[in-house]
Amino acid sequence: MTTIGLPFPRRARAGNGAGGRLGRASFWIYGLLIAFVLGSAFPFYWSFLVASRDNSMLTERIPPLIPGGNFLANAQRAFELSPFWKALGNSVLVSSTVAFSTVFFSTLAGFAFAKLRFRGRNVLFVFVVATLAVPTQLGIIPLYMAMSEFGWANQLQAVIVPNLVTAIGVFWMRQYTVQAVPYELIEAARVDGCSMIRVFWHVCLPAVRPAAAFLAMFTFMTSWNDFLWPLVVLNADNPTIQVALEKLQSGYFVDYSLVLAGTTLATIPVLIVFIVLGRQFVAGIMQGAVKG
Amino acid sequence: MRQQRRRVFTRTAALAGATMLVAACGGSGGDSAENGGQIELTIGTFTEFGYEKLLTEYEAAHPNIKITHHKTGEGGPYHQTLFTKLGSGSGLDDVQAVEEGHISDVLAKSSLFHNLEEIGPKNVTADRWLDWKYQAGKAKDGSLIGYGTDIGPLAMCYRKDLFKAAGLPSDPEAVKPLFETWDSYFAAGDKFVRATDKVAWFDSSAQIFNAMQNQLDVGYFNRDDKLTIETNPRIRQNWQQVTAAVDRGQSAGLVAFSNEWTSGFKSGSFATKTCPSWMLGVVEESAGPGNNGNWAVTDAFPGGGGNWGGSFLTVPQQSEHPEEAAALAAWLTAPEQQMKAFLAKGTFPSQVKALESKELLDTTSEYFGGVKMGQLFADQARKVTEAQYKGPGDGKIQENVIAPALASVEQGTPPQQAWDKVVADAEKIAR
Amino acid sequence: MTADLDTASSGKQESAAQRVSGGRVPPPGISFRDRLSRWDFKYSPYLYVAPFFIIFGIVGLFPLLYTAYVSLFDWELIEDSPSFVGLENYVLLFSDPQFWRTLVNTVSIFLLSSIPQIIIAILLAAMLNTRLRGPTGWRVGILMPYVASLVALGIIFANLFGPKFGLVNGILETFGLERIDWQANRFASHVAIAVMVNWRWTGYNALIVLAAMHAIPKELYEAAIVDGAGAIRRFFSITLPLLRPTLIFVVVTSTIGGLQIFTEPKLFDAMPGSNNGGSTNQFQTITLYMYQSAFEDQDFGYASAIAWALFVIIILVALINFALTRRLASTGEEQ
Repeated sequence: MTTIGLPFPRRARAGNGAGGRLGRASFWIYGLLIAFVLGSAFPFYWSFLVASRDNSMLTERIPPLIPGGNFLANAQRAFELSPFWKALGNSVLVSSTVAFSTVFFSTLAGFAFAKLRFRGRNVLFVFVVATLAVPTQLGIIPLYMAMSEFGWANQLQAVIVPNLVTAIGVFWMRQYTVQAVPYELIEAARVDGCSMIRVFWHVCLPAVRPAAAFLAMFTFMTSWNDFLWPLVVLNADNPTIQVALEKLQSGYFVDYSLVLAGTTLATIPVLIVFIVLGRQFVAGIMQGAVKG
Repeated sequence: MRQQRRRVFTRTAALAGATMLVAACGGSGGDSAENGGQIELTIGTFTEFGYEKLLTEYEAAHPNIKITHHKTGEGGPYHQTLFTKLGSGSGLDDVQAVEEGHISDVLAKSSLFHNLEEIGPKNVTADRWLDWKYQAGKAKDGSLIGYGTDIGPLAMCYRKDLFKAAGLPSDPEAVKPLFETWDSYFAAGDKFVRATDKVAWFDSSAQIFNAMQNQLDVGYFNRDDKLTIETNPRIRQNWQQVTAAVDRGQSAGLVAFSNEWTSGFKSGSFATKTCPSWMLGVVEESAGPGNNGNWAVTDAFPGGGGNWGGSFLTVPQQSEHPEEAAALAAWLTAPEQQMKAFLAKGTFPSQVKALESKELLDTTSEYFGGVKMGQLFADQARKVTEAQYKGPGDGKIQENVIAPALASVEQGTPPQQAWDKVVADAEKIAR
Repeated sequence: MTADLDTASSGKQESAAQRVSGGRVPPPGISFRDRLSRWDFKYSPYLYVAPFFIIFGIVGLFPLLYTAYVSLFDWELIEDSPSFVGLENYVLLFSDPQFWRTLVNTVSIFLLSSIPQIIIAILLAAMLNTRLRGPTGWRVGILMPYVASLVALGIIFANLFGPKFGLVNGILETFGLERIDWQANRFASHVAIAVMVNWRWTGYNALIVLAAMHAIPKELYEAAIVDGAGAIRRFFSITLPLLRPTLIFVVVTSTIGGLQIFTEPKLFDAMPGSNNGGSTNQFQTITLYMYQSAFEDQDFGYASAIAWALFVIIILVALINFALTRRLASTGEEQ
């Protein structure tokens, strides 16, 4: 690394300042990011547009860009036609339980796989990754049989328990921990007489906070948007939000302004979780930066 | 092997039965389910059956019965869940609605459902329904699996303004000769397409083909459940007639119920539409107020009549209270109740008495120029003579083999090549 | 694959791990406390990974073994007496042209989506890794597609890519170009679906990479700057190699997810709710075909055979990708 002295253009260097995360964002970076965020946000805005107008918007060649005045009326109808509040409560309960539990167990298992040595570690880990390759759609029938055997059909456990910890969560936390937690720190804590769980708590956990916050966000959203399995295992009188929203699409003619009003409302709680955990994500990074 | 598997299922079913009781106790806020002679029934429906008020009414008349209504929005996920629960042996409702397109799959598994002629109220007899509807709910062994709810008798919808512009007659009486036979229908199509620019005669070739296919004696399977697709020359003739019409520019090539199809109504991309009773609402919503007065409907249909849509109420073997469930299903499908459902949600009744009721006959549609649609569709319903026998897999061939193949012809695949694929795919489903 | 999914410097770490987890020789006459501590180090790892395996045993392993068993039968979804057919379902599968067609579709959509996706995600992460005003806002912004409900997604993309009235074709025509039949043309349909996939997943992958970038000690960069390394050089010789564990995660998960692609092609079909993947199965994927066989054709045995074939294919491709990624991300370090 010491011999590197390639003549890079002056501007690139100046623009990026100290390099890496120390670099200051240039005009171009802001421009590109704005384009990205607009692209990401467009469908939400578009959904809101349809929800605030009526179906006829969908058949316009060039759709209007200004919201109409029907959003509240459409939202009102969505509330009336589906058990919206109950579904919202169920979904908040299910998604936060699943997110919390997945983060906890995945971090723990990820720590063990990344930093501890035990017989069978590699084999078990490869097994975890291999489970990702199991196509889930076909699991519905045996899983339903298992759930009704446990007496959990139509109960929220049926959508919570299968997701308490996921292979993707374990895999992710393990990969992150490998890189983010130095052995020296574990060693030091160990010399101080810390038990394993305290090492996990005081050394590992703070270091992996950004990854854990990300996993929490991601898991919450996945659970929130899960549709196929809840639809099969839960009854329409005890639904999650996606199952409740499905009801709005009834009849031979789908009223998209109604459906999209419902989906827009259902997105709001996730956005809140998103912003709260997003802050955690950033805070964790900042902390990591201070620690070095 | 066989015995073992059967045992697993029985056990699962028994357990699930117990479970559902527990769930019911826990779920519904402390009702004393079985103790005070209380019976809890569940009913599963999809889209709109118009049963909400009726169920409350039934509970009021039967204080010992409490009904939970499980309503799914779309038919697709509803039937998938239905078959999943049939397959895993538990979780079905006491009364389960089944749509016409899926009834052949249910009838093929008739052992998993109760024979309603056995467990249903004795005063419910075949003469309650139009004969073809009653027969369509019967399995091959003669057991009655489903009580008919509603139907979708076919008529023809057409664009008055476009007909006039193309020099065709546009008055509902005067257009009838055009819709007399399929030959006259396609001939009028040629005339129309020649006279207009960029407007097709019909929306989608699959829609036309299905209507023609449904007029045959048996569907894609004969009564021995052998595939007829190559043995019945009529099927091949229909195919040739429809694909030839596509070739002559008669089809707008829109996939039914897609977004583009909806847009096609609005922009006036086609001039005729095969119209079951429930389609009037779809046309009105899709074409929008801008086309008010442009659409008309007439009580003629090429090749006679036909039916598209409608449902049945079944009682699965899984039910804990089959007789009470059958009694509920019988009550819901009585003419008086189906009339109320019709007034609530427009589901067209299949019961002889309901079809004679004054309220039905006086129903009009403003969007279609104030036509007496109740009378019109009641007449069309009586023109249907016999229920076509549909073997297991019939619906799948229609939806997943014929419809996509015709769409591919509209997209440019040579008809012969598409037909070869139809034969191969149909054989795979029949396997 | 058992060897290591670790970083390259595993030798050093192995020895450290050895020391950490009780590789030390205990002094003679150990106290109870010491023994407790040894047990702690020896057995607690199993305790930590146990929850996953318990849950997986219940909700993952049973369905997996059950489908393996079912795949040996001529088993309808609703069946009282399935008959044992041995490997016949697999024999049928390998001579089924539709299976091969869906395999090609799957691989094509997978390549069209995952390659641009990973490259853009890394670039996006590098951009987000600069000093930005309001960092949370940008992150939330690019992850937003992941929150979008699938219903909304289906409606929106059907509108954008509609062959006759869609916005994309409208734009093409405005520029005097030919309109494209996004449904009928096989390759065009794959492109449209890939756009949908990329829209939904790029931000997600960018944030994963970003989280890993933040864990790279800044001293490394400072030293490199002292040595006179430019931004691009630093990216290739520091950032990329140190991202390796995360890149392996991204590549392996997007391989697995990409080969199981299901939702997007299902939503893309013009026929609502259809599992056909277009009129000639031009964009039907393996998972979609499996789903159709199970729930529409109710051929549960055949669908289970498809599931297992897919499982094996995914494992193979994931292994290849894993090996490639290891080599790719280690070249920088070896310079």
